[in-house]
Amino acid sequence: MTNDTSILVLGWIGIYAPVALAAIGASIGCTTAGQAAIGAMMEVSSGYGRFVGLSALPSSMSIYGIVVMFILNRPVTPANSGGLFGIGLLSGLAFLMAAIYQGLCCASAISGSKAKPEIFGLSLAPAAIVEGFAVFAFVFALVAAGGIPK
Amino acid sequence: MKYVVLMASLPPLGSLLEAATPPISRLKLESRLGLLEATDLHTLEQIANLIAWPSQPLERTDAAFIVEAHRFLAANRNPTLRSLVTQRLDMRTIVAAFRRRRRGEAQPPTGEVWGFGEWVGLIERNWSAPTFKLEVIFPWVRQAHDLLEEDDLIGFEKLQFSVVWAMLNRLGAGHAFDFEALIIYLARWSLVSRWSCYKGETAVVRFRELVDAGLANHRELFSGVAQ
Repeated sequence: MTNDTSILVLGWIGIYAPVALAAIGASIGCTTAGQAAIGAMMEVSSGYGRFVGLSALPSSMSIYGIVVMFILNRPVTPANSGGLFGIGLLSGLAFLMAAIYQGLCCASAISGSKAKPEIFGLSLAPAAIVEGFAVFAFVFALVAAGGIPK
Repeated sequence: MKYVVLMASLPPLGSLLEAATPPISRLKLESRLGLLEATDLHTLEQIANLIAWPSQPLERTDAAFIVEAHRFLAANRNPTLRSLVTQRLDMRTIVAAFRRRRRGEAQPPTGEVWGFGEWVGLIERNWSAPTFKLEVIFPWVRQAHDLLEEDDLIGFEKLQFSVVWAMLNRLGAGHAFDFEALIIYLARWSLVSRWSCYKGETAVVRFRELVDAGLANHRELFSGVAQ
């Protein structure tokens, strides 16, 4: 493989990384939160819907990944490969980690609110804060992508 | 991932000395533990055999027990579980020393294995010191000594429960949905269950005393009628 080809491969990795990594993270996060929802449903006799709804929260990361992929998607050249790789991979890693940890936050919220339903709203705060960090990564990936040559 | 289901399905235990009954029955808890794999159940059983004091078979010697503890620690590399076992056994060793001294043993045991861990030598060297010179490492030892001096055995038991509860709180930090979290939950459940049993036994004793007192009054009444 020549140097140019290697550089172009990095560019393609950068374009697809956000959606791939975000999808992996969202799968893990939703699985964790979903399992907590199942566990909570074993203990309580009502309010199943909100547990299941909460367990889907990490899926938003894959949406951010898709949007970043569309923004980065362009003809790959040696001039823009580095930028595509850097922004794509790092934003993808941010979505991956945010989704995993958001899943844990959701699992804790589900576990806590099954015993005290009145804290359900407040228990969402940690997951919302993690979402906020992912939004930072998302927005600034869009801003930074504006500087990559077409 | 099965630990997430399991932990989310368990009710919170609340605080130690307030619960009148455990929030989940033994039967229900054992049925939930059916979600675990055989290896986890084996580890759980090993830990329970080491730290569940009331269920220790009387025929098991201290030496055999310590061999089993070393075998567990050699086979298990999980730092949290190792800390749990060693800290509980350290506490057991100190309590054993207090009990031995309380029943009149003026000298530390010789020619027998009686304790576990790194503090055995220090305890033996300072057998006559009120707190075995352990109060810097284990601050609760001073209070334990004072309670035993006052013959407050219930307070002594309560202190042990509180110390273990605090230790479990420390070990549980950072563990929410993993095997360590489950083991710590079960250890806490065991404390709550035992404490509530103690209260039940007290209630039964009190009930019997009241019944006996009531029957005694009736006996006096009827004996008065017969006369």
